[in-house]
Amino acid sequence: MASRENADAAAPEEEKVEINRREAINLAWLASLGFFLLPFGGVTLLFAYPRFREGEFGGEFRLRSAELPDIGESPVANSEGKFWLTRTDEGIRAIYKVCTHLGCLYNWQEQENKFICPCHGSQFTYESTFIQGPAPRSLDLFTMRAVKNGEVLAETEEPNSPIPVFDDPEVEYIVATGEKIVGNPV
Amino acid sequence: MLDGMMENVRGFFNKSRDERRAMIREAVDNRVRIITAGLSMDELRALLRGDPPTERPNPRYKVHVTSFIAHIRPKFYYKASTRFTHTFRLGYMSTLFFLIEIITGLVLMVYYVPSPEGAYGSILEIESNVMFGQLMRDMHRFGAELMVVFVWAHLFRTYFTGSYKGQQTFTWLTGVFLLLITVVLSFSGYLLPWDQLAYWAVTIGTSMADKAPPPAIGEASNLLLRGAPDIGAGGLLRFYLLHVVLLPLAGILVLSIHYYKVAREHGISLPAVIEEGDLPAEEVKEAKKRVDIIPDLLTHEIFLACVVTGLLLLYLMFFYPGAPLESHANPLQTPLDTKAPWYFWWIQGLLKLGDPTLMGVVVPTIFVIAMMAVPYIDKNPKRMAKNRPFAIAYGIFWLVALLIWSYMGLPQFGIETPPATRIVQDLAPEEGEGMLREIPFDQLVPGTYVVNELDLDNLPIELSFFLQEFETRVNEQVEIYEDTKNDERPRGFIDPFAQVHITQWQPSLKRVTFRLEWSDPQTGAFKEFEHDFYLHEDRPHD
Repeated sequence: MASRENADAAAPEEEKVEINRREAINLAWLASLGFFLLPFGGVTLLFAYPRFREGEFGGEFRLRSAELPDIGESPVANSEGKFWLTRTDEGIRAIYKVCTHLGCLYNWQEQENKFICPCHGSQFTYESTFIQGPAPRSLDLFTMRAVKNGEVLAETEEPNSPIPVFDDPEVEYIVATGEKIVGNPV
Repeated sequence: MLDGMMENVRGFFNKSRDERRAMIREAVDNRVRIITAGLSMDELRALLRGDPPTERPNPRYKVHVTSFIAHIRPKFYYKASTRFTHTFRLGYMSTLFFLIEIITGLVLMVYYVPSPEGAYGSILEIESNVMFGQLMRDMHRFGAELMVVFVWAHLFRTYFTGSYKGQQTFTWLTGVFLLLITVVLSFSGYLLPWDQLAYWAVTIGTSMADKAPPPAIGEASNLLLRGAPDIGAGGLLRFYLLHVVLLPLAGILVLSIHYYKVAREHGISLPAVIEEGDLPAEEVKEAKKRVDIIPDLLTHEIFLACVVTGLLLLYLMFFYPGAPLESHANPLQTPLDTKAPWYFWWIQGLLKLGDPTLMGVVVPTIFVIAMMAVPYIDKNPKRMAKNRPFAIAYGIFWLVALLIWSYMGLPQFGIETPPATRIVQDLAPEEGEGMLREIPFDQLVPGTYVVNELDLDNLPIELSFFLQEFETRVNEQVEIYEDTKNDERPRGFIDPFAQVHITQWQPSLKRVTFRLEWSDPQTGAFKEFEHDFYLHEDRPHD
């Protein structure tokens, strides 16, 4: 009772109240709880974060020359690797099947001669370049390598660009689905 | 002790009949008082009859102190607060539907299996092989959509009556959180049937999370939601856990806070006119009369619950087409006309306007923050509409914007499907019924039907309607070409040839082939489109 009266009396003068031992210890407890909960939240997120191995997805797909589409032929779908193969005079591309807008799978429209996404209508050329629609960028490619006896003859380096097709039937074409090359922004 | 009991029993039987009756009555009355937290049997009857309390002090108020369930409810509201045209009972309806969702959801969980292998099958099982399964699922699905409607309506009602001011500021904030929880609850349930509709709507939804800036955060949140780059077993389980554990718990917690503020701090707001209008003192006094929760509002709520669930059941049994269920989810094929659930059409509409990060994430986030901030920005203490014209205009502006964006979110808006694909999709959609599938099997007369050479006289009625529609749609494209042939990008068909070919493919199976040929209006090149459909005799009709 006496201390309550003292406190009331002290209040009008706004005297600074010193931290006492109990307050310090209680603050320390609170702080330690905070120090525990904060990383625990982070740990929970990490726990929920899915695990991948390096380069995982569909792995690498090896194709022979004979398996490649002809120049200008309708795109060939690879559902396991989630890519379309298209081939022009310049060479061949492996285009990631997922629309760069919101993750739907676009289709090849033979009548229109372009890729059209059924969800929001984004359109792309045979060469993976953006035409129109809400997509923010051209389609993504997977890195392709032309390999002969372990020697890399050509490799995709630029977004939306092909690698040449070689006459040599010995050459293998590798589509690395773990290595995505993001398309050029609009 | 046993002796004492025997004494009581002997005492009981030594009493007269009336005394015995009185003893039994008293014993039962005591039990009733314990169960009802203080109400006697006479009091219960008085409640139902609308009589004044039978004892002093008022035992009905005591219930609010002694009963857990009743303690979260206020003792009374002001009479004018309970006017139907003031609240439209929207908060009550939101809560009622939350309760309906919890109950039907728990029942559905008995059969539902949250795995890609089991989910779709368990929905089919519920719909076809569980007694009242279809009804339970319809209730859960349709109830969820109604709940979204009621929560939105409650929000706009509160906004337009200026009921977020003063003490109710924090209540408004919790209300916006409840809206978010409601919408996310509904959306997380969307994936669970694991059909095409679910799979692709949720793919689009989680891709929006992927666009959250900066890219690292977006990618991480997408992966956390999906559990993998694509939605699979992990994603389904995550959505299931969100839907049945985390979000309902969050909903119950925030709803408790929201309602506690109403019950203990400020009650339901009075109509603004009572507070600000120049009403005679008599009228204000009348408006501020107390209406007790027990019994007046309680009986009203029971009445409302009966009427609403009754209407809901009638609608579901006789008019509702059934909760949608498309074919099994196929991660390799996006169906045409994929769309988000209708309460996300406004975001889908925004998405068509530009950059997904800006339109899909930034704008909706600003919108939600702006809603939360309303009472902290609007410091005008006046509540009547005429005293806050800017706020009312602002509210109407957003309401209209939401509706327009939603309209723009329709799949028909701004998505260019090649005309031949469009025509066939409209007549025989990849998912759902469509005109072709509605034709009875025996009316599908084998033959070749060429557009503009149709001889409909001897054909069954539904088949001839279907063929006429096909003809109209093809000729429409010819007109479109005529209209646009001088434009930079002419559209439509030049000299189309179109036919439907029906063959008896197997004893109980018919094949319907659409074939269209035309010249491309831009290049003049020859184009063709062909699509087959197989229709089985025993195929169920909706």
